Amino acid sequence: MKASKKIILLGHFGVGKSSLIRQFVENTFTSDYKVTIGVHILKKEVEIAPDETVSLIIWDLEGYDDIKKTRASYLLGTHGFIYVFDITRPATFENLENDIEYLTNQYTNTPLKVVGNKADLVTKTYLKENKDTFGIKPDYFTSAKTGDKVDDLFTTLAKELVK
Amino acid sequence: MLETYRGTYFHPRTQFITIDAEGNVLESDNVLFSLKKGDAIGTLSAFFEGLAAYFDVAEDNDIKFTCIHLENRDKQEFTCDIEFKTFANEQPTLIIIHDFSDHYKYYQEVAQSRNESVINSQVLELQNKYLKEKEDFKNTFIANFSHELRNPLTGVTAFCSVLQKTNMSTEQQDYVEVIKSSADHLKNMIGDILQMSKIEVGKLTIEEELFSFHELIEMLEFTYSVKAKQKNIEFELDFDENIPRFFEGDKTRIKQVFENLLENAFKFTSTGKVTLSIQQNQRRARKVNLNISVQDTGIGIPTEKLELIFNSFTQLNNSQKYSGTGLGLSIVKGLVDLMDGKITVESEEGVGSTFKMNINFKYPINQESTSLENKSDIESKNFLSKQKYNILLAEDSELAQMAVLKILAQEGHFFLDIISNGEDVIESVIHNEYDLILMDIRMPGTNGDELTKMIRSLPVQNCKTIPILAITANLFDDDKKRYKKMGMNDIIEKPFDETTLLKKIYKYLK
Repeated sequence: MKASKKIILLGHFGVGKSSLIRQFVENTFTSDYKVTIGVHILKKEVEIAPDETVSLIIWDLEGYDDIKKTRASYLLGTHGFIYVFDITRPATFENLENDIEYLTNQYTNTPLKVVGNKADLVTKTYLKENKDTFGIKPDYFTSAKTGDKVDDLFTTLAKELVK
Repeated sequence: MLETYRGTYFHPRTQFITIDAEGNVLESDNVLFSLKKGDAIGTLSAFFEGLAAYFDVAEDNDIKFTCIHLENRDKQEFTCDIEFKTFANEQPTLIIIHDFSDHYKYYQEVAQSRNESVINSQVLELQNKYLKEKEDFKNTFIANFSHELRNPLTGVTAFCSVLQKTNMSTEQQDYVEVIKSSADHLKNMIGDILQMSKIEVGKLTIEEELFSFHELIEMLEFTYSVKAKQKNIEFELDFDENIPRFFEGDKTRIKQVFENLLENAFKFTSTGKVTLSIQQNQRRARKVNLNISVQDTGIGIPTEKLELIFNSFTQLNNSQKYSGTGLGLSIVKGLVDLMDGKITVESEEGVGSTFKMNINFKYPINQESTSLENKSDIESKNFLSKQKYNILLAEDSELAQMAVLKILAQEGHFFLDIISNGEDVIESVIHNEYDLILMDIRMPGTNGDELTKMIRSLPVQNCKTIPILAITANLFDDDKKRYKKMGMNDIIEKPFDETTLLKKIYKYLK
C-alpha cells in the first residue's frame, strides 16, 4: 500500500501558507490574498526515490497569531509540520522561538520545517545579513511566487516522514 | 400544518455515513455528497485519509472538526463541520457532515477584511520604518563624507593663504586666486550639504546671541547692490525703520536665510529687479513679528513644481545653466522651521517668484544701552604682553601640521611644538610650559577631547587655565557641547584659513 502522510502548515495569517501549497501542488501563484478559514486539504504524490512515492495529505490551516489557538483536532495524526513566517513582516516571526519550542515539546518526534516565505521580496544579501534576526535559523527561505525552494521543502520533508 | 411547512421549507444539510474498518462506505444518506456502498471514504476528500488510523479503533470516540472545506463531484464547494464517532461495541464508525457553508461564507468575509487591514497597517508601519532608516543612513553618510572632505580642503585653503604671501608673478597670483576661490566654493557646498544633513537629523540648534539686525540688513544691502550692478539688474530694499535695532537670535542662521534667498533670486534673474522687503507686522512683549519677502523678476517656477521647491537636492531647472547643489532653499526652509517661522512661495513662470516669510524675533527691551563688542580679535595682537609664545599642536595630519606651522611662522610670535600621537601629549604638557594648545580631536592613541579632560585634571600649574582650542571637522552640536564640557575653550573648524586660525589664537593669548 502506498504510504500516505499528513502534514500541516502553521503560521500567522497572510504569510503565504496557501500560496506555498498551491505552488507545490498546482504550480500556480496569485498575488491576490484570500483568507483561509478552517482548513483546506490537498493531496499530492511525491516521488522520494526511483519507484517510491509517498502521498502527502497537506492541511492548509487558517492562520493564527497564537499557535496555541490552533484547534487540537486538526493536529490529530499529524506526521509533519511546516511552520511558515513572512520574512518581511516582523509580527509573523516575533514569537517564532516560542512557537517552535511549543511544537517541539508537544510533538517531540514529529519532523518540523521552519520556513521564511516571500524571499522574492528581499535580496539574497539581505537574507544573509539578517538570518539571525528571526530568532531561529529557518530551514528554508522560500518564494511561493517564484517557486524557489518550494519543491525542495516538501520533498525533503516527505523523505524524512518515510524514514 | 407544521409537518406541511416542514415538508416545504426544511432542507436537511446533514449527511450520515457509516464506514467499515478499512474506511469503505457501508451506508450513506447522500444528502450532500453522493457515495455508494463500498466506496473508499477517502474518495470524498483527502481529509478522511488523515484519519485512517482511527477507522478500526474499537473505543468510544467523538472527534469534532470545524470548518472543513469539501468538494462534491461537480466541484461544488461546501464548508462543513464533521463529527467522527467510533464505538467500543461492534457498531460501525459513524461520520456526520454538517453543511455550514452560508455561515462560514460570512465568517470568511469578516476574516478577510480584518486580516487585510492588519496586514496593511503592518506593511505601512514597516515602510515608514525602512524609509526612516534609509533617510538616517543617508544623513549619517553625508555627514561623515563631508567631514572627510574637510580635511584635505584644509590643506588647500591654508596653503593658498601661505602661498599668496610668497614672491609670485602676477600670473601666479591669479592662479592661486582661482584655486582659492574654487576651494571656497567647494567649502561652501560641503558646508551646505553638512548643514542640510544636520537639519534633517535634528542636530542643528538655533543659538541666541545679541546682534544688530539693522547692521546685518545694511551689510546685505551693500553686498547685493554691488552684485546687482555687476549683473546689470536692480536691487531694492524696502526696510521698515521701526523694527528694533537689536535682536536676540542666531545671527549666522538668519544671515544665511537672507543670503540663500537672495542668491537664489539673483541666480535666476537676468533682467529686472530683486526686491527685499522687511516689514514689522506686530510687536508684543519682547517679540517682534516680521513679514519678509524676496521678490524677483526671474524665470519663475511652474505651478506643478511649486511644492517641490523646498525639497533637498531639487533643482527644477535641470539645464547646466544654473549651478548649485539644490540645497539652498531646503536649508532656508529647515532653518525657518527651526525658528518657528513660516515660509511660502508664489510664482508665475516667466514673470518671477516671491518668497514670503513670517518669523518672530526676540529683542531686548532696552535698545539704547545695548552695546556690542566690536573689537576685532585679530587686532588684539597689538596688546600681546610677551615676545614669544609657546604653542603645542597635537595633530596627526601632516598636512594640517604644515599649514599651522607655516601660518604661525610668518607671524614671528610663536614657538611651535608638534605632537602626532595622543599618548605623548600629556607628558609634553607636564614638562613644558605652554601658552596655548591646539588640539585635533581624532588622533591615534587618545582623542583630543579626552586629552583635554586629562590635562585639566593634572596637578600642574596653569593646566586648569591654559587655553585649549579644538581643531576639528566634527562639528555636530553634540560634539561642540562635548568639547566645551571636556574643558576646551573654543573650536577652530576645519577647513580653516589663515585669518580664522590667527583670530582665534590671538583671542586667547594674553
